[in-house]
Amino acid sequence: MGISVHLHRVFQKYCGNLETIEAKGSTVQECLRNILILYPELEKAIFFAEGKLHPLIEVYVNSSSAYPDALKKEVNDGDKIHIIHTLAGG
Amino acid sequence: MLSQDELARYDRQIMIPEIGLPGQERLKKSRVFIAGAGGLGSPVSLYLAAAGVGTLVIADYDRVDITNLNRQILHWSKDVGAKKVESAREKIESLNANTKVEIIDETINDDNILGLTNGCDVIIDAMDNIAARFVLNRAAIKRGIPFIHGAVSGMEGRVTTIIPGETACIGCMYRDYTKPGKFPVLGVTPGVIGIIQATEVIKYLTGMGRLLTNRLLIYDGMDLRFREFKLSRNPECMECNTGKG
Repeated sequence: MGISVHLHRVFQKYCGNLETIEAKGSTVQECLRNILILYPELEKAIFFAEGKLHPLIEVYVNSSSAYPDALKKEVNDGDKIHIIHTLAGG
Repeated sequence: MLSQDELARYDRQIMIPEIGLPGQERLKKSRVFIAGAGGLGSPVSLYLAAAGVGTLVIADYDRVDITNLNRQILHWSKDVGAKKVESAREKIESLNANTKVEIIDETINDDNILGLTNGCDVIIDAMDNIAARFVLNRAAIKRGIPFIHGAVSGMEGRVTTIIPGETACIGCMYRDYTKPGKFPVLGVTPGVIGIIQATEVIKYLTGMGRLLTNRLLIYDGMDLRFREFKLSRNPECMECNTGKG
């Protein structure tokens, strides 16, 4: 059993159109790094620089906001991570 | 005191026990600041006027462009080229002359926002960029009044109700970063989100129901589903914990 990473629609094109990817890791960052090994094109969409998420990326763990230190957030088997995109239009 | 015309006009909502005559009178006495007369500002202002909010203060510096008309339902073909706030006032007063509309034809910023929101009970976010939302968020915190955040793009939207000192604020959720450029949007998306924002305002003003506090409601029009995420205050937030300066 791993961690389910749910990707917003805009990111699914980088991951074989998958909505959910199973990952291993003890933090959000470890889970994302493991996913990027399989889907390297996702990196430019969610990371601003090494070890830094793009400012418009939001992370929720078990439906709770992981802001501001989302990458350091600890996760356990069975947890759900949602990666979504901030909206700014009005 | 409500007139006979108002009693008839609002009859169906006065029948809601949680509103009743006291709630309707509270709506009449209320003053709501709407930042933006565009996609979100259109449904918000129309529904608040229809519900009988006494005064709407609407701020927008822009003029109506034909590309606005797929979503900004306050503005019609004849209004292209007109000031949005003037077009908005005309429609709202035609809908309900009992609602007073005050218009502000200027850009909001940290220097003018406290003056512009003077006497307002609620601030509504109908803006199109994150930087302006930080300005509104700071004003709401300084005034100690609710801020109803809404945003849209494409077929997706989001809403949360911010109560200063009690809930997560914009600074607890976002970094102040604005991606330049125009955004895609189908007109019904700000329609859905704006109506939820108006619902929150009416609930707050009348004291009914459970507000969308510390909850980010996300609307996905593609799959037609709503999802809710929990928010919490960031103890190190520079906006709501040290931003009162």
